[in-house]
Amino acid sequence: MNAEIQIKGLFKRYPNGTQALKGICLEIQKGHFFTLLGPNGAGKSTLVKVMTTLINKDSGNFTIAGINPETNLSKIQKIIGVASQDNEIDPTEKVENLLAFQGRLFGLTKPESIKRVNELIEMFQLDTERNKKASALSGGNKRRLHCALALVHHPQILFLDEPTVGMDPVARANFWEIITQMNKSESVTIFLTTQYLDEADKHATEMALLVAGEIRYSGTIIDFKKMVNPDSSMSLDDSYLKYIKTLTNQESSKNN
Amino acid sequence: MNTANILLIERGIIKLIKQPSAPIMGFGMSLFFLLVYNAGIGGVGSMDAFGSGGYLSFVFPITIISLAMGSSAGAGQTLNTDMQSGYFRRLYLSPAPRWILVVAPMLADTISSLFFTILLIIIGAISGVTFQFGLLSVLGILILSFLWSLTLCGFSAGIMLRTGQHQSAAIVTNAVFPLLFLSTTFLPRELITADWLLDVSWGNPVTYILEGNRYLLAGTSSASFFYIGLIIFALTSIFSVIFALSSANKIKI
Repeated sequence: MNAEIQIKGLFKRYPNGTQALKGICLEIQKGHFFTLLGPNGAGKSTLVKVMTTLINKDSGNFTIAGINPETNLSKIQKIIGVASQDNEIDPTEKVENLLAFQGRLFGLTKPESIKRVNELIEMFQLDTERNKKASALSGGNKRRLHCALALVHHPQILFLDEPTVGMDPVARANFWEIITQMNKSESVTIFLTTQYLDEADKHATEMALLVAGEIRYSGTIIDFKKMVNPDSSMSLDDSYLKYIKTLTNQESSKNN
Repeated sequence: MNTANILLIERGIIKLIKQPSAPIMGFGMSLFFLLVYNAGIGGVGSMDAFGSGGYLSFVFPITIISLAMGSSAGAGQTLNTDMQSGYFRRLYLSPAPRWILVVAPMLADTISSLFFTILLIIIGAISGVTFQFGLLSVLGILILSFLWSLTLCGFSAGIMLRTGQHQSAAIVTNAVFPLLFLSTTFLPRELITADWLLDVSWGNPVTYILEGNRYLLAGTSSASFFYIGLIIFALTSIFSVIFALSSANKIKI
């Protein structure tokens, strides 16, 4: 079976000399909920930026739904949705106009776009905000709008880079309800990076651990927990901390 | 043209309508020049060198030139606003061709400039400016204006994209401003006494748009200025669009 996301030997170095990705290899199957974990500066956002075609890789290959971005960029852009760490909103536009424009940009007709705007406004509980300018929204509502914009065109694959940062617990629960529903009923593949490991533990089934640009673990979350602590059950949070601690100790003893 | 391209150009125009300060200032500056120059030194227009159109027709091209100068920073400012808000990244991830993200605000700016040029032409016609070839003159003026405006927009957008600072979009206007005074802006070539200024004016591209327009208005210049102007500004506008597009590769997403 062809993987929905296939990455082979991906390297990325920034102009300042930082080697952000060192030969990443990953496979994610269609409809899976995958999470990429790792400490700050591990290269998670860089990998997402490369995968979403925001920045270029140095070497290696990747395909999304079997499509090579070098040969068919716009086809990939039509099937992926991206909610990155920072809000990407035009503050001068009204909520519903922003959503409608996004839909039109992705090829929805005017009536389809209007229908989708109404759906998303209801899903993300933005009813009272729909005629407000984005600049007038609260931080949490801006975040909701930012995430809603990523879903306008019914993406087949969703890249979520720290999506719930700045959301209150209610908004966060609502957001995960929408995402898990999409994942289960529409088989949308989810690629999540997060520092909230409880969220990853609750919703994702597969994971990879990225440390200093290298994949240190790739598999199911259950297997990761077992690997770290074979004798008792631990949360992903505790397993992750234990694994990173062990890794740090190994590195420092190597250096000594 | 595909829907995404049209939508992005429409968005650029709507942005200008919502924040019309740059084009309106350009238009206001142009009208001011027309009024002040004609009122101040319009009397010299009775001299033979100004032809039958008088000083008003002679000075009219300067209003067309200053119009685009006043509004050329708009595209750069739109791009900068989108980059600051992060919205440019969202547009960058859409299926729209990436070149249109840079070209759309430039086209919107140029279309706005053309709109105000038409307004100026109407005001000029009402005030007594002569158009030697009638509608063909108007068409020629609009083509020169389009190329001039696109040239300025492209350079201003490109510089802004490279520096990432919206203030830098005004660099082009500041750079071009002295060229206005190193040309046949206020007096015909026959009445300029300094040889050095005459020499400099030959190498100054602004001279060709000024004199090209004068050929179309009162016929006080030769047709060659118009044709050379067309070639010069077709080339500069192509170069400026290439400059803007290549600058887009420098953006840090």
